[in-house]
Amino acid sequence: MRGATVLKASDDKTRQLNKNTLMAYSGEAGDTVQFAEYIQANAQLYSMRNETDLSPSALANYVRGELATSLRSRKPYNVNLLLGGVDPITHKPSLFWLDYLASLAPVPYAAHGYAQYYCLSILDKHHSPGISLGEGIKLLEMCTDELKRRMPIDFKGMTVKAVTKNGIVDIEFNDDKIVKCA
Amino acid sequence: MDTLVARYSRPAAQRETFADDQHDDLHDDTTNSMSLKFAIPPIAQPSAWLRAATDDRANPQCPIKIAHGTTTLAFRFQGGIIVATDSRATAGNWIASQTVKKVIEINNCLLGTMAGGAADCQYWLAWLGMQCRLHELRHKRRISVAAASKILANLVYQYKGMGLSMGTMCAGVTKEEGPALYYIDSDGTRLAGNLFCVGSGQTFAYGVLDAEYRYDLSEEEALALGSRSILAATHRDAYSGGFINLYHVKEDGWVKHGFSDTNPIFWKTKLESGEFTNVTSDFVGERV
Amino acid sequence: MAMFSQNPVLNGPNYSFADVPVQDHVDGFREHRFNPYTDNGGSTLAIAGKDFAIMAGDTRLTAGYSINTRFSPKVFKIGGSTSTQDDANILLSVVGFAADGEALKERLDSICKMYRYRHNKPMSVSACAKRLSTIMYQRRFFPYYVYAILGGLDEDGAGAVYSYDPVGSYEREQCRAGGAAASLIMPFLDNQVNFKNQYIPGSGVGHALQERERQPLPRDEVEVLVKDAFDSAVERHIEVGDGLQMMIITQNGIEEKILPLKKD
Repeated sequence: MRGATVLKASDDKTRQLNKNTLMAYSGEAGDTVQFAEYIQANAQLYSMRNETDLSPSALANYVRGELATSLRSRKPYNVNLLLGGVDPITHKPSLFWLDYLASLAPVPYAAHGYAQYYCLSILDKHHSPGISLGEGIKLLEMCTDELKRRMPIDFKGMTVKAVTKNGIVDIEFNDDKIVKCA
Repeated sequence: MDTLVARYSRPAAQRETFADDQHDDLHDDTTNSMSLKFAIPPIAQPSAWLRAATDDRANPQCPIKIAHGTTTLAFRFQGGIIVATDSRATAGNWIASQTVKKVIEINNCLLGTMAGGAADCQYWLAWLGMQCRLHELRHKRRISVAAASKILANLVYQYKGMGLSMGTMCAGVTKEEGPALYYIDSDGTRLAGNLFCVGSGQTFAYGVLDAEYRYDLSEEEALALGSRSILAATHRDAYSGGFINLYHVKEDGWVKHGFSDTNPIFWKTKLESGEFTNVTSDFVGERV
Repeated sequence: MAMFSQNPVLNGPNYSFADVPVQDHVDGFREHRFNPYTDNGGSTLAIAGKDFAIMAGDTRLTAGYSINTRFSPKVFKIGGSTSTQDDANILLSVVGFAADGEALKERLDSICKMYRYRHNKPMSVSACAKRLSTIMYQRRFFPYYVYAILGGLDEDGAGAVYSYDPVGSYEREQCRAGGAAASLIMPFLDNQVNFKNQYIPGSGVGHALQERERQPLPRDEVEVLVKDAFDSAVERHIEVGDGLQMMIITQNGIEEKILPLKKD
């Protein structure tokens, strides 16, 4: 978005940090991509130098550090992030919520911006740690349905990716469903 | 007819002036306590002044803190209407009360809900109750929900811009209308609908409610859904909390289904249904 | 002379900086000179028992950091048949802006007196509570800057306490603190009167704990509770102190007690 015009309807707002970690971002135009790609480059550099990937939690803490440093600079990055990954050794999935003020929280489910107000209560009710990928997508669909139903703006569809222990996979997601208020 | 036209051709607020206030209503009859005579500060911009003195959000240092209400919901279903609210009232960050009755019993078959200014809702819904009773006496039959809600909407519209703050729902079941639900707010909006959530916790309540709402819900399911939606809002919205106040409106009047503390309900929901996985019951957060 | 003047044109530009008339704010909203309110501090408290109600208030009256008087009662008898209020059946406490409090008290009292004269019986507490709400709401657009609490005995003889916000929303409660030290006293009352966050020892751990059952407190215990609440408030709030006025309403009428509080 630039002013009141949609520039592109299918922008991918995620970056892959390594084989099993994905970072989604939102925030100020320019800052977001610059910051995400800076993190991506450093994560990949680490992987090349050490022939091993950082774990999601290590990356999350690294990103937090970068945000904290940036926050105290003359022009801080205005970027909010969700960082998800599967630990390459333990195969444990984890999700981290970060905002531009460099808060970091490990959470079972998360959202940024207005989506929080609409989706968190749904996730509170329907999430459980043992759900399968299919059930997760169902849950995501409940959330997007609610956003379509109640949010006064059209967010032009979703990009959906899943981080599994075998890497990151793109998920086909049906955006065209029309949802109406009850 | 002329008197009727005259009555509605000018806003009620302008009809009475500041000069003829006070003493007269000691001698008037019993209806006076509900008369539409309101004292107005003797200045050019009463509403701007009122805002500076009482509106917490426009002016956090305002001297007068008015109690505000928060999450309320109501929805129509095959068996009538479910009305549910939380019970917290806040004045700034101060929790003024945890035991507010935000479902207002207008009469034995009409319910109103309270969001926004507590006094505004209490007063005008009581006033609406009076109008409904007068309608019954004059016409020898119960007022329709549509008419009752219109009376309220017209009234608040007369005071538009003066600083009233209310978001209310009128719920009732009549023979002619079936279960009827209206949303009225202080802007003058009046909407009929199947389901409404009002207040700062509305989005959280909508989230849970929309996902599982159907018109053919059973009575038991409907009550559980209403209660669970309020619980969701009290969990995520700091301005909501306290007790869950639950009502079921049927054609022969409303039935109260408890005023229950959220804390034990939260733990019961979490531990028995495995929901709220973001909260750990052993009070030790996972290390990052 | 200039320091008393609001108009620099008449007196020349000789005001100090603090007295410079406030210009319209950059955002376009106006700073208003019409300010009919002050906060006179003080605190009130009411607790309902099984067959009594206690209303209490400190007697200090402040304006800013000055103490204007050490004895200005905040609790009033309402609706007696004479000015002595010997046969009053209702208590009203007001805190906030003292002048508005006084006006509100006078108004409610005259209405209750008129009711007694017309109906030849005192007004019930529940009726008076509703009436007070409408009186306060009449000033919805020019509010009484007052936090009021009404107390008495209900139709069954049980203690009743009604609390109000400045524009008249009201609720019957077991106990309520109002005014400057409300935020200090109310949590204490929640714990000691409604037994909030009190659990039966050994009934479990964490959220399995059982709540302590609520039961009405005896009068002597409540009186001690009131005194303790005010003693604590005096320690931590500058606007509270000097004297404690307590009114206890029972089947036998209203009893008044004045106890000392710290005077610094």
